[in-house]
Parts: sequence; C-alpha cells; structure tokens
Amino acid sequence: MRPRPFHLLAIVCTVCVVLVVLLAFHSVDPETAPHATYVERPVAETGATNRVASVYLNYRLYDSLLELLVFFVAVLGVRFYLGARERPDVPPLAESEVVRTSAALLFPLAVLLGVYLAALGQISPGGGFGAGVIAASGLLLTSIALGIDAIDRRIRRNAMERIERGALLVLLLLMLLPLPLGRPAFADLLPKGAPGAVLSGGSIPLYNVLIALKVVAGAWLILRSFVRHRGEI
Amino acid sequence: MAFSVGVVLFGIGLVAIAIRRDLVIKLLALGLTNAGSILCLVAVGDRPDARVPICAVCRDAIYADPLPQALVLSAIVINFAILALALVFVMRLVERYRSTDSRHIEDLVQRDLDEGGGP
Repeated sequence: MRPRPFHLLAIVCTVCVVLVVLLAFHSVDPETAPHATYVERPVAETGATNRVASVYLNYRLYDSLLELLVFFVAVLGVRFYLGARERPDVPPLAESEVVRTSAALLFPLAVLLGVYLAALGQISPGGGFGAGVIAASGLLLTSIALGIDAIDRRIRRNAMERIERGALLVLLLLMLLPLPLGRPAFADLLPKGAPGAVLSGGSIPLYNVLIALKVVAGAWLILRSFVRHRGEI
Repeated sequence: MAFSVGVVLFGIGLVAIAIRRDLVIKLLALGLTNAGSILCLVAVGDRPDARVPICAVCRDAIYADPLPQALVLSAIVINFAILALALVFVMRLVERYRSTDSRHIEDLVQRDLDEGGGP
C-alpha cells in the first residue's frame, strides 16, 4: 500500500486523539475521583459482595438499561435486514462423530455454567451478560454439530422472540415499579439479605437472570439470522 | 504498561479504520479499537497489588476499582451489537455491488445516482 497524504493526516489525527485521551486520564487523580468510593461503600447499600455487580445493577442501573436497549436495537436491525431473505433449506453438515460427541458433552456444561454465572453473579465473578453469551455459544456449538434445523425443531423461533421481548419488558417494568410506590425509579425494592448468601443483593439476582435470558435469546437470534441467511454454518 | 498497550492498540485500530479500504478490514479494526479501550479501562481500575473487588468489607486491603470493570461489560456487549449490525450492512453492500472495497462501492453508488435510479 503506497503512502498517501491522507494516510499521514489520519495518523496525525489519531495521535492527537490518543494524546488528548491520555491527558484526560492522567489529569484525574484516582484517590479523589468520585468513583473511587464505590468499593468502599458499605455492602448493606446493595447487599452484593461482588462490587462490580453492585455498580452496574444498582448504583448505575440506567447504564445497563441503555446497554440492553442498544443490544435490543441491534437484534432488531440484524433480523430486519437479514430475516426477509431466509433460505428455508439449510443443507446438513458433513457428519462428524467427534464434533457430535463433543457437542453433546459440552452443551450441558455450557448451559450449567450459564445458569451458575447468572444465579451467583452477586457473590462471585459472573453476571447476566456473560452467562447469556456462554449459553448462546453452547447453542451455536450444538447447531454446528447437529445442524440448525435440529435446534429450530426443539426451540421455536417465536419462543426465542417472546423470551427476548418479554425479558426486556419485565426488566423495564421492574425498574419503573418503584415510581408508583413513591420511590425514585431504579430503586431496589427487594430485601438485601445477608452479604455472601445466595439470596442476597436485593434485585440483582433477578436482574441477572432476566438479562441472561434476554442475551441468550438475542444472541441466538443474531447467530441464527446469519446462518439462515448464508444458507450454511 | 497495560494502559500504553491499550492506547497503542486503539491507535492502530483507528488508523486502520481511516486508511484501509476493505470494509471487512475496517470492521476488524473496529474490534481492535474496542479491545484497546477495554484494556485501557481494566488498566485504569487497577492498583498496585490490588485484589478482586468481591468483599463484604472492602477497607482492609487495596481493591481494584469496580467502576471501569462495569464499563468493560457495556463495552463488550455494545461492541458485539455494533459489529453484528455493521456486518449485516457490509453483507448487503457486498451482495449488491460484489465488492468490499469502500471506494469502489462509492463509485458504483455514484454511478447509480447519476443514472437517476437511486442507489
């Protein structure tokens, strides 16, 4: 690739952007920055010992809500632009005993890991987003081994769509439920529980499970659209 | 150190988005900028000898800052969503114009516009 004046300009602009970002980061003193207190706040405020979960599902729940909306719009966009021209007959892959056996072994493990991460995200590393992606990759693995028709027979697409929209709707209602009760929106209504217990963290486990359902349905709808559109895996 | 590597990755990705003409390469570069920014965020939250921020009382030792880690979560999900959507648009362009070269596609679109039919 021959160097052109435009390339030089792009590089210079990038270096300027990077320098500004660096300056912005280094002008913040980590000891006095407002976010430095999140980890020192008492655990009774949220009930979750996993402070990352307490940040994104309690203190800054609106961040996660907007993130879910972005994901929802992306799923809608992918399905809108790819779904209209699906190929009905996806040819089955060449049978491979190794792939089928390992998929049969790994799929329950992926689902189990997803459930574990979603249910215990408040006291251990994990959370709804990662759990959903892990379970969806288990589905993808199975579709590689058995073909996408095998999954479509077991899980109807309508069911996935309903799970995706229903989970988002329930999440929205849960986040707005405090308003008619005279509390600010996004407030946590459930009891906090003992820190470190499985049922602790107020609404955080509930949010994690709903987010996991939403992400597994959304990610599977995206992957399925790509496979159906291309006609093979 | 990790922060510098993240900044360098981000810069490489940004330059590649600007100067490479292949749309798929542009998307890969977008993923690279995302990886760089994630590395930066994790590095920002790190402290010397920091421990995992999972604790009932977090005052007895130095803990990593949980806020940038929560932002990493958003960054990963949104990167996945953006890449999937952008890939769909690239697929539509490739199906129509049989090329992934952005400048070639622009020429073809311009030709379509000049012929009056719209893209």
